[in-house]
Amino acid sequence: MRIPFQGDFLSRLAVVLLAILLLLGFVGPSLPVGDPAAIAFGPRLSPPAPGWLMGTDNLGRTMLPRVLQGIRITFVLATAPVLITSVLAVVIGMLAGYLGGWFDELVARLADVLFAFPSLLLGLILVAIMGPGVRGITAAIILITLPLMVRVVRATTLSIASRDYVAASRVSGASLPRLLLVHLLPNIAGAVVVQATFTISVSMLIESGLSFLGIGVQPPVASLGSLVQNGSVYLVQAPWLALAPGFFLAVAIFSVNLLGDGLRDRLDPLEAHGLK
Amino acid sequence: MSYLRLFRFAIERLASALLTLLGVSILVFTAIHLIPGSYEAVMLGPQAPEAARERLREKYGLDDPLPQQYMRWLLAFLGGDMGIALCRSQQSIGQQACENADQAPIIAEFARRAPATIQLAFMAAGMANLVGIPLGILAGLSAGSRGVRGTSRAISALGMGIPSFVLGTLFVYVFSVHDLGLTVGGYVPLSEDPETNLRAMVLPAITLSVFGTALFARTTRDAVLTVLAEPYIMAAVARGESPGQIVRRHVLRNAAIPVVTVSAVNMGYLLGGAAIAELLFSVPGFGWYVLAAIHKRDYAVVQAGVLVAAVAFVGVNLLADLAYAIIDPRTIRRGLG
Repeated sequence: MRIPFQGDFLSRLAVVLLAILLLLGFVGPSLPVGDPAAIAFGPRLSPPAPGWLMGTDNLGRTMLPRVLQGIRITFVLATAPVLITSVLAVVIGMLAGYLGGWFDELVARLADVLFAFPSLLLGLILVAIMGPGVRGITAAIILITLPLMVRVVRATTLSIASRDYVAASRVSGASLPRLLLVHLLPNIAGAVVVQATFTISVSMLIESGLSFLGIGVQPPVASLGSLVQNGSVYLVQAPWLALAPGFFLAVAIFSVNLLGDGLRDRLDPLEAHGLK
Repeated sequence: MSYLRLFRFAIERLASALLTLLGVSILVFTAIHLIPGSYEAVMLGPQAPEAARERLREKYGLDDPLPQQYMRWLLAFLGGDMGIALCRSQQSIGQQACENADQAPIIAEFARRAPATIQLAFMAAGMANLVGIPLGILAGLSAGSRGVRGTSRAISALGMGIPSFVLGTLFVYVFSVHDLGLTVGGYVPLSEDPETNLRAMVLPAITLSVFGTALFARTTRDAVLTVLAEPYIMAAVARGESPGQIVRRHVLRNAAIPVVTVSAVNMGYLLGGAAIAELLFSVPGFGWYVLAAIHKRDYAVVQAGVLVAAVAFVGVNLLADLAYAIIDPRTIRRGLG
């Protein structure tokens, strides 16, 4: 078996860190780490101790399983919208880039309008409409990340659509779906994967930011961002409450960014070295 | 470059920016009207008698068709009238209801709070430029070394990876437990007492600048690498220009374009991120005000705040486009794609 990321220490580090985080988030909560919802599991605001490795919060709940659950929620809430964004962006971007004309113009205009909002404000206003919670966050992440992704897909499509083999296939009577799916899609897939990876880190930032502001996930669901928010009230007495989830969040986004760099080097080496 | 062409280009970009803002205003207005819960219910509370609601609807023309209401709002906005805030000065985020409607004009409240936010944005942007660009140039010029490549990649992934509220929370903790000269909170206007003001503003500015620093470092490095691969660099080397001369005359000037682009991107980040920094460090700025308005469902303020932020953001992007045209006249011919 070929070892991925040969000679690329940082990308391997990212893969290892992400693997650890995913294990912690998806397997951790079913280990015997205590009941995350049990009130007065330990004393209130206790520092880390053998029974509660990350301390306890103001209600005496043990933090470790809460943080583990938070890791899972953070990954799920960041990844699911990015999958939707990617699919939408591939369809819209390929059609706009390939067809051109009024559709392309319309897409570009709408992207401009969405780009004109500072991303956090766009998130805030969407959550104001949809109401706080998972639905609002998902909509916010999709709308914030869609315009950039569409631009990337469109630009890549443009550069490929003008190649000879595409023209040859069109002249020999290939249908539009065949052109898009067989000739264009495989060639833009690399750029989409790279962009989607970076988008996951953006979406983690948006989700955690909104949750930190209290309008993201709502209790009893807790993501790393909302755990930081809850803990920040007791920052001086019990700093671990806010700093532990904050640490895991930073490690998660850091690793996703590094992985994005690594994928970019492998899938799109010219772009990676700015030679395009 | 002919000034006529530059002028035409500027007009074209301006027209396109105005069109974008028109789209933004329609979107914001429609979005706010999609929010469940009517305006009069927010203002008068759920228990208000029908007659009072009726009077309010009549007073503000809430029964008119939406396009008509939109036109009225837009024209008033252009005339500098952003409406009236439902809630009095919004200091805390926790409480949901408005304590009192004393009919404060929104624009006065914005004007009162703008200086703090503008100062914060300028300090953060300045720090990001001063640290990020030299780092990026160094990383780009010494990219032959594996160690430098790895280090700069790790630093930029970290800088763009640590959420501002996590970093800010860490600062709040460290600086409220230890007395290190910088204060958490305690903002006073710059004109009143510069020293106290700076003590209170340094931490929120650093919190806000980290993302931009990483962004600038990364973009500058990539731009320098791109330029170094250009044939004219080899030509300059062949002509016998000194490395310092090549960097100053060819590399920096050509690498400036993408850096200008991300300055505009960073501005958008600052506008949103300022709200979080203001909240964490109790800076009574524009972002905090809009944030509090969202919590209190004071939609007139939200609507005006988002539009003002979008105007600022689009304005900065317009300036960036014009800066390209001046740095690199080829952009005018190529168009900006």
